[in-house]
Amino acid sequence: MKHRHSLPANRNMMLRFARQFVLMAAGILLAANVLAQNGKTSDDGKMREASTPLSHDLSGVWMQYPQGDVPGTPGMNTVNERFRPPLTPWGQARFDASRPLVGPRAIPGEENSSSLKCDPDGPPKVLNHPNPFEIVQIPGRMFMFFEEQHIWRTIWADGRELPKDPDPSYLGYAVGKWEGDSFVVETIGFNDSQWVDAYGNPRSEQTRLTERYRRLNHDTLELQVTIDDPKSYTKAWISPPKLHKLEPGWEIAEWFCVVDEDKAYDQVVRKPAGVAPASKSK
Amino acid sequence: MQKRMRNQLKYSHFEVRFSAVAFARVSACAVLAASTFFAGILSAQGGQPSVTAKPEPGIPAAIATPPHDLSGVWMQYPDGDVPGVPGMNAVDDRTRPPLTPWGKARFDAARPLVGPRAVPGQENNPALRCDPDGPPKLLNLPNPFEIVQIPGRVLMFFELGHIWREIWTDGRPLPKEPDPTYLGYSVGKWDGDTFVVETVGFNDKLWDDSYGNPRSDATHLTERYRRVNHDTLELQIIIDDPKAYTKPWISPPKLHKLEPDWEIAEWFCVPDEDNAYDEVVRKPAGVAPGHK
Repeated sequence: MKHRHSLPANRNMMLRFARQFVLMAAGILLAANVLAQNGKTSDDGKMREASTPLSHDLSGVWMQYPQGDVPGTPGMNTVNERFRPPLTPWGQARFDASRPLVGPRAIPGEENSSSLKCDPDGPPKVLNHPNPFEIVQIPGRMFMFFEEQHIWRTIWADGRELPKDPDPSYLGYAVGKWEGDSFVVETIGFNDSQWVDAYGNPRSEQTRLTERYRRLNHDTLELQVTIDDPKSYTKAWISPPKLHKLEPGWEIAEWFCVVDEDKAYDQVVRKPAGVAPASKSK
Repeated sequence: MQKRMRNQLKYSHFEVRFSAVAFARVSACAVLAASTFFAGILSAQGGQPSVTAKPEPGIPAAIATPPHDLSGVWMQYPDGDVPGVPGMNAVDDRTRPPLTPWGKARFDAARPLVGPRAVPGQENNPALRCDPDGPPKLLNLPNPFEIVQIPGRVLMFFELGHIWREIWTDGRPLPKEPDPTYLGYSVGKWDGDTFVVETVGFNDKLWDDSYGNPRSDATHLTERYRRVNHDTLELQIIIDDPKAYTKPWISPPKLHKLEPDWEIAEWFCVPDEDNAYDEVVRKPAGVAPGHK
């Protein structure tokens, strides 16, 4: 695999790799999943052995490990559906109206994921995709650059408070600060035009998202996501930590969602819900 | 004064048209800053920047200019060189060289939203589909951008379309055979006080400006940034696109004002939201100021 990653200048390859990742990872997943189920915390435990303080430098290109906690959807479980609390009536109505592209609820021809229209993605869904992101830290701010849709996001780290009455937006308004070894990002001000994952779980404008980033070692970033959305869920949705691998030779490629171009892509990769791995298992 | 007022009014009108969404979303602080900016134009116009970009006499350099530092949020001066379309001339239509036959065919097929060639109901600007914008068109639009410098890279963040772009400054050469993209592949280096950005690897899906001038995949774009003083950034654009134009298109330098209190707001182009926006603001080509 290493040689495949050592071509940073070849953006097209990077792009292709990203796009094919779901399919590729699906292949190795069946084996990896078995191991992951048994040894889920062992890597984590090893990394915590060092008692020295962890780095406060999160810079770099990070790629999800294909842990595959959800069968058939490797690496897409930073928001882990298995830990989802019960839905509120509002949340249930939204959930029932959603027609995802993947998973057991996918119905070919009825998909209504907003990504089909190239609507902008936002957190936490954008953290769920099996595509790399880059973190850049400058004084007072952290940037995140997601390959998927070429999205960028600002996390203010200059000590400012969250706004009292933010305008609803796709990305929300994010502030972050260090709590020990964890960089804790709090985001509010979301609109309700997005889902929190690819399975149609709703995101209301009351969502308060917490992301806890920890650099366990030089090559490993841990991310734990908590969704507190009382309009959609009866209690906070706490997903288990998820690991990301540093990819020093990678550069974030230009991957815009373009409506015309995406029609072809949808037919091949994104839209064939009926043949998605997850639906095979049902 | 009368001319200044006219520019001011046009600019405000234009600003409302193109930035309504953004400014509705921007924080109260930024709105305040914006109004301060507009109010400040009248007093600052003593040194009204012109197309020839000789800002030094009129714009006081009260604060020392940091060397080789372009960081900050920058906003075009509304100098309005093109009648009715102030602030959209970083790529200046008036200095465009003759088109090649290929370029002419593309130009004739373009149906812009603004300018004298706008025909209501026939607009085919890719922006109507929310296709991503790229340079140099992105630099032409009257919306702020932010520059952030980090080791080995300069990052540019454009409010319009929430686009970001990276310019490699780690000494790497331009790629020999880049894949065609909306943003292209950019490298930059300092040439004295000027930061020179070279970009290749464009696709031909975008225009160079809002008037339908074509951008082919043979385009070699040069941007020359110079911080004239603490508050003023000069940008000169040279488009070398032998497939579309018979010689390089050299636009005169254009000035930008530092806006220390502004933050780049979230302004995505969203097809659903934009349908309504188009009808009200973007699409009625017949009533665009340039058409009058």
